[in-house]
Amino acid sequence: MSFRFSVPNSMLTLGLSIAILSAPALAQDTLAPPPEIAELVDTCKACHGDNGVPVQEDAPIIWGQEQYYMYVQMRDIKAGRRKSEIMGPIVQDLDKDTMKALAEYFSQLKWPSLGYSTPEADIPVAEAAAVAGQCPQCHLGAWVGNSRVPRLAGQNVQYLEKTMLDLKYDRRKNAPDVGALFKDMSDEDVRSLARYAAGK
Amino acid sequence: MRVTKILLAGVATVAVCAAQAAVSQAEEVQRGTLYGDMTIVSQDMLSRAASDGNNFLHTNGNYDQTRFYPNKQINTSNVRKLRPAWIFQTEVVETMETTPIVVNGVMYVTTAFNHVYALDAATGQQIWHYKHKMGPVTTYCCGPNNRGVAISGDRVFMGTLDAKLVALDSKTGKLLWETQIADPELGYSETMAPTVVGNKVLIGTNGGEYGIRGFVKAFDTQTGNEIWTFHTIPEDSVGVWATHDATGRDMLRDIEAEKAALKKMGDPYKTLGGGVWQNPAVDLEANRVYFVVGNPSPDLDGSLRPGDNLYTDSLVAVDLETGQYVCHFQYIAHDVWDLDAVSPPIITQVKDGDGNMVKGVLHGGKTGHVYVHKADDCSLLRFSEAMVPQENMWVLPTKEGARMLPGANGGVEWSPMAINADLGLTYAINLHQPMTYHVESTPYPEGKLWLGGAFKVIPTEEQWGNVTAVDYNTGKIRWQVKTEQPMIGGVLSTAGGLLFTGEGNGQFKAYDAETGSVLWNFQAGAGVNAPPSSYTVGGKQYIVVAAGGNTQLDYKRGNNIIAFTLAE
Repeated sequence: MSFRFSVPNSMLTLGLSIAILSAPALAQDTLAPPPEIAELVDTCKACHGDNGVPVQEDAPIIWGQEQYYMYVQMRDIKAGRRKSEIMGPIVQDLDKDTMKALAEYFSQLKWPSLGYSTPEADIPVAEAAAVAGQCPQCHLGAWVGNSRVPRLAGQNVQYLEKTMLDLKYDRRKNAPDVGALFKDMSDEDVRSLARYAAGK
Repeated sequence: MRVTKILLAGVATVAVCAAQAAVSQAEEVQRGTLYGDMTIVSQDMLSRAASDGNNFLHTNGNYDQTRFYPNKQINTSNVRKLRPAWIFQTEVVETMETTPIVVNGVMYVTTAFNHVYALDAATGQQIWHYKHKMGPVTTYCCGPNNRGVAISGDRVFMGTLDAKLVALDSKTGKLLWETQIADPELGYSETMAPTVVGNKVLIGTNGGEYGIRGFVKAFDTQTGNEIWTFHTIPEDSVGVWATHDATGRDMLRDIEAEKAALKKMGDPYKTLGGGVWQNPAVDLEANRVYFVVGNPSPDLDGSLRPGDNLYTDSLVAVDLETGQYVCHFQYIAHDVWDLDAVSPPIITQVKDGDGNMVKGVLHGGKTGHVYVHKADDCSLLRFSEAMVPQENMWVLPTKEGARMLPGANGGVEWSPMAINADLGLTYAINLHQPMTYHVESTPYPEGKLWLGGAFKVIPTEEQWGNVTAVDYNTGKIRWQVKTEQPMIGGVLSTAGGLLFTGEGNGQFKAYDAETGSVLWNFQAGAGVNAPPSSYTVGGKQYIVVAAGGNTQLDYKRGNNIIAFTLAE
């Protein structure tokens, strides 16, 4: 639990600006964590943000993310099915109940808006890719996910680009059927799809 | 001050109670008849539903699942006067696949994520609303769908996405009991409507995309206790090493490699899939139920599941009382395309090979054929002409992707067919959605999506659908009407010589059952991708359908239940 990292000033500034802009709404949705996970929650916030806006460049939004999905990710990271240099050491000593408690806590918080807009040029490429991959069939109409399927809409674009390419190249191994959808797509098309999802 | 507050609270409570009592009385008045409370659904009513021109008591109309409604007040000569009588908007704006069930003027509909509404079928006014308390773990394919309730006695039954069966009081919507059917973490979920017969609630399971072991179960209507389970995957799932499908085409199986794999890994039955997505047909005379079984797991990767993968992609009959196996017929052994059996079977009289009328079973396949069986032993009497283009069958999936038609959604998806026995026609709605089939072998992922590759729609190729009438005594297509988009939802046939079905673009249409002419249409504003039903209240026949779009094909979402009747 002594994990530390440095955060670029620009990221901090960006995070702070968004926090100020959306402070009233977020303040209404803050929730004190159960005492037994309070220290861990502070650890999580170091990357994922005090207000739900990630401060680590390619960290995902976890506020308001699907509870079961987050639990499974922690479980998979601990088991080595999903590699993460940052998360690996953090979850190594967590038991299932703690992981479930963390997932439940963060799922109850309000998903923050990052205000990202998809570049126009990405839209036709991404829409064709979404048709091919039938993305809404699992991620639902608004790409908001459900239970074991993550929300993609409005997710941190850097995270999405990285994780989708990790799935394509089998660097992330805990969702191989999703990775199979990206196999015959170019990297740039995968990035377009990531930017499309982030802008939803 | 304190006293005043308490008094005020007391007055308010009394007022609320009085209001509730008034509402209850009003409901009682609406629901009562000269003959008592006719909202109780007897077994006799359920058994005679095929000739009941007032109610719509089963998801597919009756135990034979003909979806043929016997009232002809709305017919070919007046259907052009069909107008909306009322529109009810649910709380959930997501995919709708519900079939409205109607009992003496009370309608029961469901939504995505397992809400149930009881409505006044004449006015659309809400009577009660039940919202299932969903657990955090749901694992489902193709959208958070629900296809409706079953009704019997004074209760309605619904399966849930978190793999439960619930029984509700039909008058109040109060939860009476709840049973966990299977473990949602392992990929089990419920989207089908149950079927009730006698003291049994019959229900299958989803999960063929997650490595489940499929089943049909019977639960006690009063207690929710399990009565029997039929595993759709027997412990010996190997079969006869069939090399050709039901239509005689070579499926290009490498039998020697499969035998070697079987020797090495053993029978794969524990994670072999075989979901049952739709209602069984019930043969009360023979005391049997007929249902179709879905694809093997993983969908595209046959290397991990040597053998025929019984009873996936099959019509199966079991004994109603015991759940014991009676007979089966497998359409595709060792399927690696997910062109499985989903659309609910229909029992009707058909011509056998000698021209004699025998009890038959019809099934509309994702392959694009209607299969006609002899009910007695499940054997195949004939299959229809292909209703959609078939190309490159049965090319094996590859890493790069192999193009084959139909795409993995069909043909006929879960959409129920309807028949008109006087015309000897069955009506199917089809998809034409070209896809490539990709295989990539991965081990069983313990409840996660396990396709063993990917189905990919080819975005540059045209997609469309059709409504097809098939003569089930010859297998010939009588008529066919092309639609703008692939079709998913279901069909209703009526004694008025009509056929009703909806489209992803919001169109809800009436066709002439004999010719296929479009006689009426209505723009519902969201995808009409649910099976319609019909009922009669106060001497007026209604047609009702849900317009909520569809997750699987990403058709525009909505939340409407729309009832139509003839303009005065």
